[in-house]
Amino acid sequence: MILAFALAAAVLFGSGAYLLLKRDLIRMVAGIMLISQCAVVTIIASSLNRGQAAIAVAPGDAVSDPLPQALALTALVIGLATVALLLALVRRAIVVFRTAEQDELAETETEHQSGLERERQADREEVESDPDSEQEQENGSRTEENGQVR
Amino acid sequence: MLVSTALLVPWVSGALLVVLDGRRRVVAWLAVASLAVSLAVLGVLAADVFTLGSREVVTGGWPAGVGIVLRADALAVTFAVLSVLVLLAAAAHEAIGGVRSRTFPGLVVLLAAGLVGLFVTADVFSFYVFFELAMTASYALAAYGGKQRQLRAALVFTAVNLLGSFIFVLSVAGAYHVTGTLAMEQVAERMLDVNPNAAILIAAGFFIAFCVKLGLFPFHFWLPTVYAGARPAVAAILSGAVANIGAYGLLRFGVGLFPEQLRLAGVTLVVLGAASIVYGGVLAIARGDTAEMLAYSAIGQVGYVLVAVGVGGPVGLTAAVLYSVINSLNKALLFLAAGIRGPLVAAAFAVGALSVAGVPPSAGFVGKLELFRTGIVAGSAALVVLLVAGSALSLVYMFQVYQRRFWRTEPSAVGVVSPLPQRLLTAVVALLVLTAGLWPEPLLALSSHAADILLAGAPG
Repeated sequence: MILAFALAAAVLFGSGAYLLLKRDLIRMVAGIMLISQCAVVTIIASSLNRGQAAIAVAPGDAVSDPLPQALALTALVIGLATVALLLALVRRAIVVFRTAEQDELAETETEHQSGLERERQADREEVESDPDSEQEQENGSRTEENGQVR
Repeated sequence: MLVSTALLVPWVSGALLVVLDGRRRVVAWLAVASLAVSLAVLGVLAADVFTLGSREVVTGGWPAGVGIVLRADALAVTFAVLSVLVLLAAAAHEAIGGVRSRTFPGLVVLLAAGLVGLFVTADVFSFYVFFELAMTASYALAAYGGKQRQLRAALVFTAVNLLGSFIFVLSVAGAYHVTGTLAMEQVAERMLDVNPNAAILIAAGFFIAFCVKLGLFPFHFWLPTVYAGARPAVAAILSGAVANIGAYGLLRFGVGLFPEQLRLAGVTLVVLGAASIVYGGVLAIARGDTAEMLAYSAIGQVGYVLVAVGVGGPVGLTAAVLYSVINSLNKALLFLAAGIRGPLVAAAFAVGALSVAGVPPSAGFVGKLELFRTGIVAGSAALVVLLVAGSALSLVYMFQVYQRRFWRTEPSAVGVVSPLPQRLLTAVVALLVLTAGLWPEPLLALSSHAADILLAGAPG
């Protein structure tokens, strides 16, 4: 029985990890869901014994261990909440970026990098630029301040 | 009683605040007030713990073993006070500047509840529950600001850390399978009789989970995007408060539950820590952007903690606790200072930079001193050389960025000056770092007390 559970958990984790590495954000979420199910399966497998439910047990009866059941329920609820949050984030990302591909998300990072490079180049050449263009570079490099100023 | 109050204040007020509109000034300041109250309660609790010893509460009045045990010992209250302090500074910073999302104040308070809970719990599974409470709040916080970079940061942060959390649960299930209990004390006792292969596997699972939180070298890949992309206050929260989970977890689980496995893996830990220090330092020098430099510096700085844990013993653990405390204060100060402009900011940033580099009279000097003692106790010249090299690297990258940011020739290019209260707040945090450096005895006593408790509690 333990072997069956171990195999199930391994398959779940393996396919979850595979999906997690995909470029598509929805697949990534599916991967995390599978891994969360793998955790639940492992918790159930951590104490497998036959017996009555642990409520109003007659003396002498075997009792099944109630703790992993409680843990599995808690883990399920937490998994549900985190996946809901993740889906909300992905939805927001799709609305903002108009794509569900990791590559295109990474482009914002590249843009940020090239903005920094421009600034560095300007520093090296000691461009005596007018305040307006300086301001523009500032905006490119520090989006966070940009928001604060407005 | 105090223990439950310290947990309930942020929990209840956070749950209430999260439904209110956080963009209103009143709500933001209510959140700050609630954090201040939590900090005050934790302060009283800490004073109690240091004079009278650990405090224990069993939830719901159940007998111990059925109910969940909350135990506030020196290590737990140290980390709890530190984390709530950082959260308070970050929340006040945002409250002054104007909060720009409905949920921010409530989430910060809920994050405080999660952190306090996981520091004081003495049960492996409720540790996970509080851990998820704290992490869920921080996933949502990482998206604060709502711009493209923040969203991408939040996505990366959530995906990687959820994986870390599930690895943690797998290890919890494993620990329950081999020991049949979830109470930390009993797990520690029974772990001694467990098949060594199973024990090392479980310990490795916990180790990976905490390293992902801390952003140590082989598990750091998510950290630069997140810390550089998130807003300054959120970056301060993530590196100053949320990363404490990792440091605390390494100490509590590593030293408290798996001392045997920790001894076995001591060299590996030191090597990983050293790799972290060098990698973080070198890449931080290569970065021109303040936030990115700070992110790589964070990778390097946690390396010191791992080295100290790897060396172990009373001296090593004292250094580990002390350096975690100082590092989170430094990082909170630097990220907050990096987000604002105007007079006082450069001074505050310089204090943080000196502290990271370990120059007296800042707090970082005391931390580095303890680390050097650790290196000498370990009897390793290589370790001492590494620490010197790491400090030199941090001095270089810190002042490189300081120069770029604050020695600009054109004052008009600096842009809009931040509000005075925000700059004063940063200056207060900087003063705190200076005070901790000029009068280090309380912090030192606290750390060595925490290390003693850990070593006394560990079986074997």
